[in-house]
Amino acid sequence: MTGINAKSWWRPRPASMIAACLIIAGLILSNTSWWFFILVGLGIFGPGLLREFGALRDKDEFQSRSTHRAGYHAFLAAGIIAAIFVAYNRSGERNLKEPEELATLFLVVLWFTWLLSSLLSFVGAKRAAVRILIGYGAFWLLFSAASHITEPAALLMEGLMVTGPFFVLAFLSRRWPRLSGFLLIAATAFFLYRFQWYEIGRSGLVNQCVVMILFLGPLLASGIALLTVRPALEQATER
Amino acid sequence: MMKPRQEIRNHLRHYRLMADGMTQQDLADRVEVTRQTIVSIEKGNYNPTVVLALRIAHVFGISVETLFELEKGERDDRD
Repeated sequence: MTGINAKSWWRPRPASMIAACLIIAGLILSNTSWWFFILVGLGIFGPGLLREFGALRDKDEFQSRSTHRAGYHAFLAAGIIAAIFVAYNRSGERNLKEPEELATLFLVVLWFTWLLSSLLSFVGAKRAAVRILIGYGAFWLLFSAASHITEPAALLMEGLMVTGPFFVLAFLSRRWPRLSGFLLIAATAFFLYRFQWYEIGRSGLVNQCVVMILFLGPLLASGIALLTVRPALEQATER
Repeated sequence: MMKPRQEIRNHLRHYRLMADGMTQQDLADRVEVTRQTIVSIEKGNYNPTVVLALRIAHVFGISVETLFELEKGERDDRD
């Protein structure tokens, strides 16, 4: 079984590397033609399809079970969201005019739920929260770098002020998980209030939902996960 | 999220450390799973399949029943 017994703390599987290349290529090439977006779908869902057909055997039983369970959770979450949107759209004179935005919302809900469930199942609450925070900080750092590539001062300021706290919280959550959890939930509430995302429909309901899931979802999920950490149990058998 | 109902108790860590201080990674390599799987079993967050349980027991040269046992409440329900 290729890649199961990774001795280093993180070694990406070949299938994951190929999938990442497809996703990046699809996103970049979509600027020329949206047909290339299919590459993104292949990158995201291709490895899973290959595993289900038995063509790819790079996960052990625990990883496979976590993945299947996460898929079921994603199905449930997307189903609930779909029911809410049908009820919302049919209950009054509301027209959701951009179907591709709805598709984006469902992709986001599916992906986010699957990722969160997989991480929590496989690595536990504390590690999942640390990885989410590091990934979140890294994403915003890349975004800041791309936005201020010719402005070193602005890049440094935004890097410290915006992304720095996430890396700091990732570090603190290893030592004080519950305190970090409270801080993250407070930060979620702050951003919800600061950007007035509680006002539904300000910038298009569907877009607003996508932004909230992608921006606030990781923070809220990490915060709640850290609140469930039992420090004694977490330290019990890690060797 | 995957935490079972704790109906099974295991002595994996005990036998692993008795085996010349075998590490979780060593055991994972021998039974062809990831270290995180071994960690989850030891913490009681995951109950392995019969195949994996047999493989682990074989590594230590003991029976599966020695390595895994039902919680007391579960045993009483069966009697």
